Amino acid sequence: MAISSARESLSLALNNRFLPNLEYLLQGSILDTAVEHLMHRLKGLCDNVDTSPERFHDLEVCMSLRQPTSPQPLLLRVRRALGQDAPFQMRYLGQPEVDMRRPTLVRSCMDCACTNGILDFLTEMGFRLEFEYIAKGYMFRKGRMKITVSKLIKIVPGKQQDMANEPISQSYIVELSVVAPTGQENVGEEMRVFAEQLKPLVQLEKIDYKRLGNLP
Amino acid sequence: MGVTVLQPYPLPEGKSGAHIIDHLGKRLLSLGATHAGQFLVDCETFISTPQHGTPTRAVHVLHDSEFPASTFSIIDNGTGKQVALVADAIFDLLMLKMTSTFTSKKQTKIESRGARFEYGDFVIKLGSVTMMEHFKGILIEIEYRPCITLSYCWEMIREMLQGFLGINVAKEYPTYFTTQTIMNAMGQQQLHAKQNDLYEPMDTVKQYLEHFTNYRKHVQLHGGLGSSGLSVNGPVLMPSTVVGVGMGRS
Amino acid sequence: MDKLNLTLTAVKNLRSNVRQCFEHLADGTDGEGVEESRNKFVHDFQDRFGAINSQLREVEQLINGLQVPPTAYHLGNTTFLAQETSQDRQALYPQLVNSYKWIDKVHDHSFLAFNNLNQNTLRRSYNYCSQKRQRLPFSSFNNDPDHIDKLLSEINHPPHTSYNVFRPFGSNAVAIVTISNVLKAAIVFKGVLIEWVTIKGYDETLEHDDLWAESRYEVFRKVQEHAHSAMLHFFSPTLPDLAVKSYVTWLNSHIKLFLEPCKRCNKYIANGLPPTWRDLRTLEPFHEECRNS
Repeated sequence: MAISSARESLSLALNNRFLPNLEYLLQGSILDTAVEHLMHRLKGLCDNVDTSPERFHDLEVCMSLRQPTSPQPLLLRVRRALGQDAPFQMRYLGQPEVDMRRPTLVRSCMDCACTNGILDFLTEMGFRLEFEYIAKGYMFRKGRMKITVSKLIKIVPGKQQDMANEPISQSYIVELSVVAPTGQENVGEEMRVFAEQLKPLVQLEKIDYKRLGNLP
Repeated sequence: MGVTVLQPYPLPEGKSGAHIIDHLGKRLLSLGATHAGQFLVDCETFISTPQHGTPTRAVHVLHDSEFPASTFSIIDNGTGKQVALVADAIFDLLMLKMTSTFTSKKQTKIESRGARFEYGDFVIKLGSVTMMEHFKGILIEIEYRPCITLSYCWEMIREMLQGFLGINVAKEYPTYFTTQTIMNAMGQQQLHAKQNDLYEPMDTVKQYLEHFTNYRKHVQLHGGLGSSGLSVNGPVLMPSTVVGVGMGRS
Repeated sequence: MDKLNLTLTAVKNLRSNVRQCFEHLADGTDGEGVEESRNKFVHDFQDRFGAINSQLREVEQLINGLQVPPTAYHLGNTTFLAQETSQDRQALYPQLVNSYKWIDKVHDHSFLAFNNLNQNTLRRSYNYCSQKRQRLPFSSFNNDPDHIDKLLSEINHPPHTSYNVFRPFGSNAVAIVTISNVLKAAIVFKGVLIEWVTIKGYDETLEHDDLWAESRYEVFRKVQEHAHSAMLHFFSPTLPDLAVKSYVTWLNSHIKLFLEPCKRCNKYIANGLPPTWRDLRTLEPFHEECRNS
């Protein structure tokens, strides 16, 4: 009985489509003053609200690597929980596809838990810091959908832990996402129905980044 | 997970690797060990495409069937600094995203695979090392799972090794543990004896990388990959230098 | 699907109308035999009856119009509702008999065990003092918590050993002893009497709510066995404090569990295990096989 290599089992997962590698995403925003109402609505709709909604407080660092063959740099996002000891999360996001026929934005996505040496590791590989911010807010779950309501906080360089860092705007960003293996088209529909139930508090849409110009 | 020590087994003249492995396996079984599956440790090295101003960097990506969900990677930035990373197995796919910057050196893909034995709390793996399907040598892995500090159980492991290998194992700690450098607070490299540290899976992987690098170098010294029944006289040399040296050549 | 929905709605309507009709009948007339109200009642009833009839026809029509679905409908969890419930098909009876037999057996065994344990003089806690002669009013199992805290803090432990005392079950203490990077032990006290010891590896979890799971390593399972026999050896009802102290000293000698060869055979390994036994007096290490030979 031969043992299969890690590469073999990985391609097996890809070919049999049980490796989640596509992210379906809808985004929207809500003013600070109205976020309470949204929270109540979500508490009513979601699964994980037996106690209180799950909070998170993460630092996200985006690193970029110039590639000789393409004009686009390779971007990797590394997330670290600030309040607790947890593995770092590294995430690769592909170019978003805004297909008129699909109800959500779709992009390829790879999530990878790492040890805390990851930033050092990427730096040695030649990655450079692109931007960083703190996301603080609440996470809800409904079936396989993930809903986050988060405040984005600007970072004064060198003071990641500081409370003095200021929010970017007077509103919360609301994201509805599912990471699923390829070939599960009904996910989008499921999400559209859910987004429908959050109207008119928040209008979740597929946001075309290309139209936003060169904003990061 | 406990302390693991790697021991290259010298191949006597005129004996094939398979023969020796078979022999050692039988010895373990008669000692009372039980056969417990197979194992595989593989290593692939990615080299950064040369850009002027930066030294060549090498990323070694290793897998160990004992930790099937993880990918271990070690980057060597060419100036002696190493950073180690343990990540989910999906890290392999991320490496493929960087193929224009880091290219895989397919011809140095190397692995050690073979049978896995359990004896009490010991796990013993008889690995035959192959590079590009060419047999390179025998690498014995011995793990004492209940103990996580080498200095506490080295004598036990040594007795065990000598017992079933029938060779003399030096009393000193294996070189991997005595020649590690760490970065001190001033940012300088400093010699650090690891035998009293808590053992981590990464240490096993680093030992494998050290030995794999030796096997690869051996090929370069002998100029080519052709010699399949390569025999090594006496114990395999274990240079005390850090791994990754000599990766830039070939 | 629409058709099915229509039909279901029609059936629902029919049911509610029938119900209303019966309710109407049950309410009866106003009681007074006024001709007018009686007529009105009959009239109402005829109206309702007519409505029921027409609805019944409608339902029949709709049902005739239904097609047999090409595939089974997906009904989610409700499909489980219609599962076979006939008793003969559930094969409950053999299981019932089986569990009945088991309960019977458990009852027998526990009865025997109870009798046996009652005769057993090795019981160390409750029954011990109720021997014929009442001893001094000490009790090794009823000490106040402060005493244990004091006792444990008095044990002069080597720098490599740490104690962590907590009380999950009211006043009785549990001490988690970590001996260097070698092992962890949970000592469960009852008063000052040691009731149970669990030995685990340094990298294993010894949770407060799971003190009874065995170590996954053979060597620590063996050490635990020895620790239990030592616990009985050191037990001393008259000097309970001393018993605990000497026991902990003995336990601390395991700091060199992997480091010392057996005193008799001078080997480290026998049967895949290091010398797991520590002599109770001299604390010298022996293999289990070597200690009596």
